[in-house]
Amino acid sequence: MADAKTPLLEIRDLSLRYATARGKVQALDKVSLALPRGRAMGLVGESGSGKSSLVLALLGLLGKGAELSSALAQFDGQDLRKTAAALRGRRIGMVFQDPSAVLNPTLTIGYQVAEPLIHHRGLAERAALARAVALLNEVGIARAEAVARSYPHQLSGGMKQRAVIATALACEPELLLLDEPTTALDVTVEAQILDLLDGLRRTRNVAMLLVSHNLGIVDRLCDDLTVLYAGRVVEQGRASEILQTPRHPYTRGLLAALPRADQGRLARLTPIPGGLPDLTRPDPGCNFRARCAFAEEACTAPQALDDKAGCQVRCHRADAVAAAPLPQPEPMAAARKEATGAPLLIAMEMSKSFRLGSAFSLTFSGGLPRLRRATEVVAVDDVSLHVARGEVLGLVGESGCGKSTLGRLVLRLLEANAGRLSLDGQVVPAVPGVEFRRRAQIVFQNPDSSLNPRQRVREALRWPLIRFGLADGAEADREVDRLLELVRLPASYGSRYPHQMSGGEKQRIGIARALASRPDFLVCDEAVSALDVSVQAAVLNLLSDLRERLGLAYLFISHDIGVIAHVATRIAVMYRGAIVEQGSAAQVLAPPYHPYTEALLSAVPLVGAKTRVRVRLMGDASTAPSSTGCRFAPRCPHRIGAICDSLPPPVRTSAQGHRIACHLPVETLAALPPALGRAA
Amino acid sequence: MLGRRHLPRTLTIGSVVVLLIVVLAALGPWITPYATDAFAVRERLQAPSAAHWFGTDEFGRDVFSRVLAGAHYSLLMGFGATGISLLIGVPLGMLAAFHRGWVEELIMRGVDLLISIPPVLLGLLILATADPGLFKTIIAVGVVYVPIMTRLARAVSLSLLAEDFVDAARARGDGAVRILWREILPNAWPPIIVETSLRITFAILLGSALSFLGLGPQPPASEWGLMIAESRPFIEEAPWIGLAPGLCLCLLLVMVNIVGEGLRDLLDPRLQGRGHG
Repeated sequence: MADAKTPLLEIRDLSLRYATARGKVQALDKVSLALPRGRAMGLVGESGSGKSSLVLALLGLLGKGAELSSALAQFDGQDLRKTAAALRGRRIGMVFQDPSAVLNPTLTIGYQVAEPLIHHRGLAERAALARAVALLNEVGIARAEAVARSYPHQLSGGMKQRAVIATALACEPELLLLDEPTTALDVTVEAQILDLLDGLRRTRNVAMLLVSHNLGIVDRLCDDLTVLYAGRVVEQGRASEILQTPRHPYTRGLLAALPRADQGRLARLTPIPGGLPDLTRPDPGCNFRARCAFAEEACTAPQALDDKAGCQVRCHRADAVAAAPLPQPEPMAAARKEATGAPLLIAMEMSKSFRLGSAFSLTFSGGLPRLRRATEVVAVDDVSLHVARGEVLGLVGESGCGKSTLGRLVLRLLEANAGRLSLDGQVVPAVPGVEFRRRAQIVFQNPDSSLNPRQRVREALRWPLIRFGLADGAEADREVDRLLELVRLPASYGSRYPHQMSGGEKQRIGIARALASRPDFLVCDEAVSALDVSVQAAVLNLLSDLRERLGLAYLFISHDIGVIAHVATRIAVMYRGAIVEQGSAAQVLAPPYHPYTEALLSAVPLVGAKTRVRVRLMGDASTAPSSTGCRFAPRCPHRIGAICDSLPPPVRTSAQGHRIACHLPVETLAALPPALGRAA
Repeated sequence: MLGRRHLPRTLTIGSVVVLLIVVLAALGPWITPYATDAFAVRERLQAPSAAHWFGTDEFGRDVFSRVLAGAHYSLLMGFGATGISLLIGVPLGMLAAFHRGWVEELIMRGVDLLISIPPVLLGLLILATADPGLFKTIIAVGVVYVPIMTRLARAVSLSLLAEDFVDAARARGDGAVRILWREILPNAWPPIIVETSLRITFAILLGSALSFLGLGPQPPASEWGLMIAESRPFIEEAPWIGLAPGLCLCLLLVMVNIVGEGLRDLLDPRLQGRGHG
């Protein structure tokens, strides 16, 4: 082993070029970093910045057509360029984004954790399996022996990711490479995994390189931070220092574009204009200058990584950037806060359940064949909500809680089992008429799936106009141009196919298509979740502008509490098919709140809020057994006793219309500490 | 690379050859150097030569003339039968995908029934009910391939129906026909085209097999499958009698497949402006 002073991992001037159909793409440009033993470094950047390429390069897993060059690439004194294949899985562990894709569905969890021990360490299968159980225990899996015998599909997402971490830890690695380890997980589960990783770092003194797009996670877990932009390191140094005083305009832009749960409702976010530069022709000067507010003539000269107050910054104007005050987001003006008027859309007692498998199945009991009805899963259970004109109702909850199903129920895209729906006082039948279809529209999460790849933008936008008889012929063309202008895209985009646009642009087209029929009500189903922070900010701003200009009402569905806190006038919190809390944004984001809301808010990784109280939930929604009482009771940290399991909780309504479904009295709930670190 | 939207090279070669074969097949009966049924007993079983490019058969008929005259049978068989299976199978498959429930059950169980009968047997069954003839063979072969097209169209449509742009169409209240025609079909084409080109080749082969069994065009017509069947007794002394139509069939099949793949790439807007080597 090398002495303690030399870093465990050190790379210097690592460059990477890919051969593509458009020419050579400079994916990484002279990236250097050093990671001492037991320290954690965050690697941050938007999609296309090269962060995943860097991880693959370190592991020697780059495909054909990749040209790698570096002045130095060392792991504990050994040349990584020669030994990467021997080190990975042994001294370097890996955890990737999606645990469901990493685990082999046909092998037991125990065997998959034991596999590296059998293959790399030559342990006998029996000894390896025993060790696997110990490892599963270490990563916080209860009943580890039973879990070791089960298959991946029997475990929840959080459990799977724990198993993946156990696999990575099997050969006692000194370095863990974590590529977006919590991005596929729910926020309360994410918090558990982050706690686990933090604990492992202390107990095992393992170094970590954490790739993430989420600055909150990096701030929670990492000592050091490297910010990548288009293949170049733009800022590197202590995480707390950089996040406190960003010296590079890009880092600054990322922070300003981030909607934050603890800042509540903001008037506007500050997006970073433009997109990534063309990497086939790397700019010798600063490659961020086209998008930079601080750009000047001298930026065309090559920029060096300079030392500024202990941090490396690739910007000659670093001092000016640091000195300039961060654009302070102004809170929403009070006058605009409250929506006015009667409810536009009212959904009463909506329920929806899905059948698992076919309607009947043949079983044998006592030697006789019996037809058995298939089990049903209740996705939405007796939910009522209303949205007023010009109002944004934020619907927040974890995956599988039924929020997307509810969004489709209120559009009558799914047939409800029970419930009534009305728009503007008119009852909407189960098969709604053309007028309802015109007035209620939807924006989807995934920009790739929401547009027909074989339709040009103009076709996609023209059809709703003709369908609803709003415009025809040349008038429709003018209307398409107007719609494009509404979402701030040039008219020339009309002739593009979806694959010729970026994710943010596609999302704008999706919004324009929904707006074409001049609706009053829009369901935004995770409408910004697939976008990078800088683009997300621009789309959020666009949505709030449209609300003001057109008086639209939104049902805004999201798992991201930061986004919900930013856009919503009212918030509804959903858990396992029911709304557990509903009220104005300010009411929901501060005590008194439902214990689940508290846990949810407390789990959100925030930048610069390390000291706040943490409430951690055990397990996740899918592992908790259903009961006749409160559906949150099995995971609730404030559980009173048997009453929670046996009786459905009463809905406590305050004078201001804040509703909480909980057995605990409001006074007790009001006494809970603010979960966002300060009174919101 | 020439130009922004050039044809894939394989497509160009494939289409030129297929077009050539089609033209020759269409003109075939009129441009044969010899009459196809002209017996010349003294010139029987001659090897290929300048006078008889593909040699002569057991009656002294010119094999080249017969291949030329019989080409249109094979082409009609391949394209006609595949056309029939496309026209019936694709709409059925898309409907089954769109209307889950009893409509789907009805269509797919019917298809399963059809698929459980061996193709040659099914062809024989259909042909047994009527006198043999080219158009009946085409219909028989077409029906045999309906299940494959139905299953493919259903599988492709099912995954496409899960996409958000279909939900967007539903949110506009678009009807089934509109959604299937405008949203699903344009995206379902690529796998269907590839399957179609494969099916054309199989249809020609099955048609030839049925002719071989005596159920297609009848002698003295010169259908390729029939020619191969008739050449069997002479396979050792005069292999060219069977080889000539066999190799022509082979060339046609390879080229049709190449055209199919080329078309798939050409119709994909995502590949426009890139082109292949």
